[in-house]
Amino acid sequence: MLSTMTSVLHFSGHQYLRHRLVLSILSGKPLKIDKIRSDDKNPGLRDYEVSLLRLLERVTNGTIIEISVTGTAILLKPGIIAGGSITHECPLSRSVGYFLEPIIMLAPFAKKPMHLTLRGITSDDQDLSVDLIRTVTLPHLQLFGISDGLELRIKKRGSPPVGGGEVQFLCPIVKQIKTVNFVDPGRIKRIRGIAHAVRVSPQFSNRMIEASRSILNRYIPDIYLYSDVYKGEDSGKSPGYALSLLAESTTGAIHSAEAVSKPGVTPEDIALLASRALLSEIRRGGSIDRKHQTLVLLMMVLGSEDVGRVRMGEPSPRTIQFLRDVRDYFGTSFKIVPADKSDPDCTELLYSCYGTGYVNANRSLA
Amino acid sequence: MDDRAHKAHRPSQSGAKAEKKKGKGKEKQKGFNEKAFAPKSGIRADRQGRRNVERDQTRLHVPLVNRTPDDQPPPVIVAVVGPPGVGKTTLLKSLVRRYTKQTLNQVQGPVTVVSGKKKRITFIECNNDLNSMIDIAKIADLVLLMVDGSYGFEMETFEFLNILQSHGFPKVIGVLSHLDLVKKAATLRDTKKALKKRFWTEIYQGAKLFYLSGVLNGRYPDTEILNLSRFISVMKFRPLVFRNSHPYLLADRLEDLTPREQIRESKGKCDRTVTLYGYLRGTNLRLGTKVHVPGVGDLDAKSVTKLGDPCPLPDAESEKRRKLSEKKKLLIHAPMSDVGGVIYDKDAVYINVPGSFTRGNTDIPQGEGERMVMDLQDVGATLEDAVARSQIKLFGSSSKPLAVDPGPSRQHYSDDEESGSDEEGVEHDLDEGSEDEGFDEGSGVEENFESQIDSEEDELSEPEDNEVGEEGDRGRSAPRVVRRSTHDYKSKLDRQSKDVEYAESDSDLGDQDEEDDLEDSRRVHFDEEGVDIQSDEDEEEISGGEEVPQWKANLGAKALAAYEQHSRRKKRKDWISLIYNSSLSPEQILEREDNPNALQDRDDDDMADEFFAVKSRSGVNAEDEDKDMSKEPLNEDDLKRWEDEELLDSIRKLFITGGSSEAQPNGDDAYEDLEGGDFEDLEAQGDGEGEAQAEDSEAAVLAAKKEALKRKFDEQYDDPESSKMDFYEEKKDEMARQLEVNRAEFEDVDEEARALVEGYRPGTYVRIELADVPCEMIENFDPTYPIIIGGLLPAEERFGYLQVRIKRHRWYTKTLKTNDPLIFSLGWRRFQSIPIYSLDDHSIRMRMLKYTPEHMHCYATFYGPVALPNTGFCTFNSLSGSTPGFRVSATGVVLDIDRSTKIVKKLKLTGVPYKIFKNTAFIKDMFNSALEVAKFEGANIRTVSGIRGQIKKALAKPEGSFRATFEDKLLMSDIVFLRAWYSIQPRKFYNPVTSLLLSNKGAWQGMRLTGQVRHEEGVKTPLNVNSTYKKVERSARRFNPLKVPKKLQSNLPYASKPKVIKPQQRQTYMQKRAVVLEPEEKKAIALLQQIRALRKDQVVRRREKQNERKEVHRKKVAKEEAKKSEKDKEKRKEYMRAAGMKSKRETEKEEGRSSKRRRKE
Repeated sequence: MLSTMTSVLHFSGHQYLRHRLVLSILSGKPLKIDKIRSDDKNPGLRDYEVSLLRLLERVTNGTIIEISVTGTAILLKPGIIAGGSITHECPLSRSVGYFLEPIIMLAPFAKKPMHLTLRGITSDDQDLSVDLIRTVTLPHLQLFGISDGLELRIKKRGSPPVGGGEVQFLCPIVKQIKTVNFVDPGRIKRIRGIAHAVRVSPQFSNRMIEASRSILNRYIPDIYLYSDVYKGEDSGKSPGYALSLLAESTTGAIHSAEAVSKPGVTPEDIALLASRALLSEIRRGGSIDRKHQTLVLLMMVLGSEDVGRVRMGEPSPRTIQFLRDVRDYFGTSFKIVPADKSDPDCTELLYSCYGTGYVNANRSLA
Repeated sequence: MDDRAHKAHRPSQSGAKAEKKKGKGKEKQKGFNEKAFAPKSGIRADRQGRRNVERDQTRLHVPLVNRTPDDQPPPVIVAVVGPPGVGKTTLLKSLVRRYTKQTLNQVQGPVTVVSGKKKRITFIECNNDLNSMIDIAKIADLVLLMVDGSYGFEMETFEFLNILQSHGFPKVIGVLSHLDLVKKAATLRDTKKALKKRFWTEIYQGAKLFYLSGVLNGRYPDTEILNLSRFISVMKFRPLVFRNSHPYLLADRLEDLTPREQIRESKGKCDRTVTLYGYLRGTNLRLGTKVHVPGVGDLDAKSVTKLGDPCPLPDAESEKRRKLSEKKKLLIHAPMSDVGGVIYDKDAVYINVPGSFTRGNTDIPQGEGERMVMDLQDVGATLEDAVARSQIKLFGSSSKPLAVDPGPSRQHYSDDEESGSDEEGVEHDLDEGSEDEGFDEGSGVEENFESQIDSEEDELSEPEDNEVGEEGDRGRSAPRVVRRSTHDYKSKLDRQSKDVEYAESDSDLGDQDEEDDLEDSRRVHFDEEGVDIQSDEDEEEISGGEEVPQWKANLGAKALAAYEQHSRRKKRKDWISLIYNSSLSPEQILEREDNPNALQDRDDDDMADEFFAVKSRSGVNAEDEDKDMSKEPLNEDDLKRWEDEELLDSIRKLFITGGSSEAQPNGDDAYEDLEGGDFEDLEAQGDGEGEAQAEDSEAAVLAAKKEALKRKFDEQYDDPESSKMDFYEEKKDEMARQLEVNRAEFEDVDEEARALVEGYRPGTYVRIELADVPCEMIENFDPTYPIIIGGLLPAEERFGYLQVRIKRHRWYTKTLKTNDPLIFSLGWRRFQSIPIYSLDDHSIRMRMLKYTPEHMHCYATFYGPVALPNTGFCTFNSLSGSTPGFRVSATGVVLDIDRSTKIVKKLKLTGVPYKIFKNTAFIKDMFNSALEVAKFEGANIRTVSGIRGQIKKALAKPEGSFRATFEDKLLMSDIVFLRAWYSIQPRKFYNPVTSLLLSNKGAWQGMRLTGQVRHEEGVKTPLNVNSTYKKVERSARRFNPLKVPKKLQSNLPYASKPKVIKPQQRQTYMQKRAVVLEPEEKKAIALLQQIRALRKDQVVRRREKQNERKEVHRKKVAKEEAKKSEKDKEKRKEYMRAAGMKSKRETEKEEGRSSKRRRKE
């Protein structure tokens, strides 16, 4: 029959697993990945990757995931994105952010509005913390017209190693997303931040705020750093603290950075780390945060059949691979030129593409 | 004196007086008298106002983006549709003649003409096959719906209108023909009126209907055609949603590219490689898009090539004139039709020669076809000779031509080699450009030969070329260049030329182009090969080598020059090529960015080092990328830099408090210019030269800001309304702006890169190469059936269950049954699938329906290719022309797409009690095992008599029985049932309608019903003995007498005692006595008897009378009936006579034009 005609996309290696899975589900093209840590001492998929596959299977309807016996190869035949109310326990090896990122890319194109509850670690030093997702990732989606009912509720915080946090992610569905034309980065007009400390002295967050202000105050007076305190049950099972910062520009561009507590490091040092990371992020320029390049580029590809333009810094390695994979999946390539032709040492780039006019075929009218 | 006549009064022609008079008169005559239209009362004024507002609203439509570019739009598709013999071809020919002044002998396939300075039209005639009508309905922008005025509407017309409606309803102009056959003026008027009324109800009130009178010289009268063409030219088209989101193309030419040898070996049964040509429409066609060819199936577009426009719009030169120049009027592109005596077929070109054809008759002007043939006859030498003689110079400057030895080697070659050579040839043609000149001149004979053998259009369509002259060249040159011919000669030649050119080149000739424009990717290429030499060295080596031929040295020098120029021009790296054209890993790309020498250094190292480097790099990768994190780890050492105050200050300008330049980093005083950040920013980049300049610019900025503020204030103060746009205007404005951005963004990018980024734009003439096309499409190719290539969205390639809202068509006579196959026309596709009908049952469940309801929508679910929600469709039970009645069986819209369905049907499980207690009973025969019972514990059950109950628990014996409680006591005769729902799945059946693959295109046969198969095979329905009806024997129920024990009886109270009375033994008083009548009594009884007898007689007589009367009436009625039937007969006769006349006319026409195709009856 004709259904066998759709060609399977073939990748190898365990890297970039998440965006490959997402692209496969969005484009409907089957995906085969092999040589997953085949040379490793501990070959095959990790527990969090398996957990992610399980989550994707529950978010979708009709998805077939086949994992080889050794776990070094997977075959994904994507179904439709179903959405709805789902609860998922995340393993303690990765934080909630690892699972949320791909879900955020899929959720607007589901059949029913997504109501996802994730339990586990809410912020660690590997993935985006839930604070950043709430304050930075979701506003990035708003650029594309996904706003009403988009929410991330942090019910409980959970720090590594034991976790115990809980977040609820609510996302509406859209028919089609607008494309974006964001070429003016503007100038930073305000800085916001959230310092949280669980199962440690609440004084810690104040110390972080003080230290951060010592650096940032020189630039701008409009700085509000909130101290977010969770008590009792809501504070999870392990102690920890973190500072996440974001800078917003006059045109609405957001840059962010965060630092998470490490054993033997004072809160002041953490705050300094976060603030400096924010400054270097601001220095990179562009109108999109470096951590959200792939999200924005994906939405541009999926946007209406118009030209989308965005000004960003240099692509991260993930972004480069993402651009290549997008071409394989959607046949869309980007035009990437220096943002300012006259200035030879301008590192900012202008990414433009012609959207595919992706329409949410899963949306139901009945 | 007196007899002199008075001078006549001459009113002054100029001056104040004349002016005054003129002005006055004009004002009175022409001026708009406001008083005349002023409302007479307040209420009227109010109403009038409301009406105007309402009328304004009707003008508004949902703003839709039109994806078709304005500058080079594709030709508008005008389809001529109608029943056979109505005059479609005549109309088409007349229209083509009106636009191009050419008469087509035979119209087949699309005919493209230039109709105006910015407009082209593709005419296509739709034959009477339902498949063609469906396909045409999906692509036509304007339909000329032809109706025989002397006959009236036919079923096909209505069917076609319904198909149009479900696929977006393009514009329709009705055309009434054969009006000359209606002789009486009054009848004509009535007919027109009646037809118009019917037409209007079908489309909309006021829809345009054209009247064409008789045929003159095989054409309709010129004035009528002129009028029609005017209506066509002013037609405005609103984009239809489906077409505005899919790329598509109406193929006007088809070519089979399969190697002949392969066809021969497989006896013509191998899958073909086919190219289709046409104007792209709808949206941009991306690379790698899957396409659907209705009637064939889903195919892979192997390649898409942009070709020169065969029917170009007039260019800027003639643009200055208001009217279309006469030259342009002659442009016509109709490869499948007979233009100027040449027809293109799938694998041949036919030349029409009128009369007898003799050579040497030079005084008679010959058609292009004839000239072509004569040129062929002139050829004295074979191709081999021509090749041997040809002197091929690769470059104009080359002194020595390449030698060829005409050996036997080219007799046998493998297919892939050939295709490869084709590719090379194409590349060569495209790339070499100017160098080609020498080659062409050198091998003039060969070129000539090639052109003669090749059945391509360049030389053949001479009239256009000649007329177009120098600027028309662009239209015709491109197709020839990129063609990969199917003809053996050509391919041989290509291969030969390849042998010649690339005889000594070691495959890097192809790389040269890349070398020219991107040094990086070239190096990448070498990376792969493991050579990895620095580019300069590479070139040195090339130029240094003594044994390489001269042209190659030349090449090196050229490349070097190009490279140097290139590197001078561009210091920055080319991200696009790095990302898309190189095989470097992302880390490598970025690493190179960080220190550009790194890779270079490594390159200079020897091979062993290289290997080590790669190994270690991959090792690092494994550590780094293990985690797939989007947050990059914070590098503390890197961040230490920020302790430096200078660095901290360096980014001040990125904050609103940062001031205009780096020179004055005081953050507090610049705080007030919070809004003007943009101006500052612009300025910040520009200045930095001197203080004075900075001050100047500051002033300028201030002035600009003031200006802007003033403008804003003026706008708001003067007219607050005008600056505000309503929703509609805003949306339109937004769209226009976005379109402008779309246009501007890729304007400067070259053609190929642009195709990569945004695909091929609508309006371009492209050639699409399709791989693995079924051979039947070629073998049974018929140009009168349209070939459409519809692009598919990624979602549409997949399969799933579609839930649709469907309604049986009012005019379709049968009801539709669940699990009966239906033919859907949905999206681009036509396919057969098996739907299950359902209705929403109280929003609780989707309940299956056996049949579609009357006059009501219901849901249907079937398996098939996904179409986006909100796509309209129509269905058919049969597509064949012999089906009587209306063929559109249902219409509807797609609602939902899923991978599973939730349709249920009712299932009643029955059981009987075998033991009854008070309100409890033991039920058996409902389930088979205790496990089943356990599954249904707590379920509601009911008896037929209405006693409700609940399943409690399974019993041990007999297996499957259970205990149940009821609200009342059961009887043993009660039947207990459980109402359950059984979920059903539609069958996974998908059968595309492959009508284009058949030799008889109308005779496609899908899956038949069992009954149909039995009927056709003459098999009787197998009869189950148990299913036959038998007489039900109901034995009368016998009740045993109630016996109450004596002892109990004695204890009962009297009221409860059974009262059994013995039959009386003695005779009664009356029984003992005999009765004798008195004479009076006797008399009375006798009298009564007589009266009764009389009465009876009277009744009988009365009935007789009545019957007589009735008989008379009956006779009367019968007479009337007879009269009526006579009249009916007359009527029928009249009707049949009209039909007969029509068919007779048809046959006459048939005889007149034997070429006319007709639906097979």
